[in-house]
Amino acid sequence: MRRFTQKDLARYNGKDGAPAYIAFKKKVYDVSSSFLWRRGKHQVLHRAGEDLTDSLEQAPHGIDLLEKFPIVGTLDEDG
Amino acid sequence: MATVTREMVEKSGVNVDQLVELLVKNAAAELTTYYYYTILRVNLIGLQGEGIKEIAETARIEDRNHFEALVPRIYELGGKLPEDMKAFHDISACPPASLPEDPTDVKAMLTVLVEAERCAVRGYTYLCNLTAGKDHRTYDLCQAILNEEIEHESWFSEFLGEGPSGHFLRRGETSPFVSKFLR
Repeated sequence: MRRFTQKDLARYNGKDGAPAYIAFKKKVYDVSSSFLWRRGKHQVLHRAGEDLTDSLEQAPHGIDLLEKFPIVGTLDEDG
Repeated sequence: MATVTREMVEKSGVNVDQLVELLVKNAAAELTTYYYYTILRVNLIGLQGEGIKEIAETARIEDRNHFEALVPRIYELGGKLPEDMKAFHDISACPPASLPEDPTDVKAMLTVLVEAERCAVRGYTYLCNLTAGKDHRTYDLCQAILNEEIEHESWFSEFLGEGPSGHFLRRGETSPFVSKFLR
C-alpha cells in the first residue's frame, strides 16, 4: 500500500482534475467519487489533500461514512 | 442586507461568510430535495408504495418550506443565491435523492428518502452547533428545521423496520416548527 507524506497528500486536493484524498487516523481515503467532495471541498470548511483526523472527530457524522470510500495508502507518522 | 445583524453575528465570533455559504448549500439541498422527492412521490405507487406516499409528500412540502425560510436569512446576512440554477444544484449540501433503478423496490425508495433526511439532520445539527449562543436568529431557524428533519427521518426509518420513534403523521398543517418563519 502506498505511503504518503503530508506533502504528497497535499497534491491530491481535488482541484484542476486532481483526485481528492483525505487522511484519517493515518489511513488515506479516495473521496473523489463523492458528490459532497466536489472540487476538493466539503461542507465549506474542509479541504481534500489534508489530514482531517481532528475535524472528523468533531463532525456531525461518524467514520462509517468515510469507510464507504477506498483506502489508497497510509500517511507517514512524521508526515 | 441587515448591516447591524451581520455585525452582531461577526462580533460573536462566527465567520459570517462561511456561515452564509453553508446556508446557501443547505438551501440548495432543500430545493433540490423538493425536486427529487417530487419524482420519488410520483413513483410511490402500488400496494406498498401508496402507504409511503403521504409522508413523502409531507416531507417534500416541508423541504420546500425550509428553502423558503432559509432564503431571507441568507440575504439578511449579506449573502445571495447563485444566478445559475445548475450551479445551485451542484453546490447542494446533500447528494441528489435520485430515483432508484427499480422504483418498485420500496426498500430502495425508503433508503433514498431516509439517507436524504439523515444528511439534512447532520447539516442542521452542525449549523446549530456553529451558531448556538452566537447567532440567535440563525440558530432558531436551523433548530426549527432540524426538528422537522428529525421527524422525517423517523417516519422513513420506521418503515425500514429500524424501530419506533413515537412520532405520528402530521395532522393538518405542514411545518409545525418552521411555519413561524414563513409568515
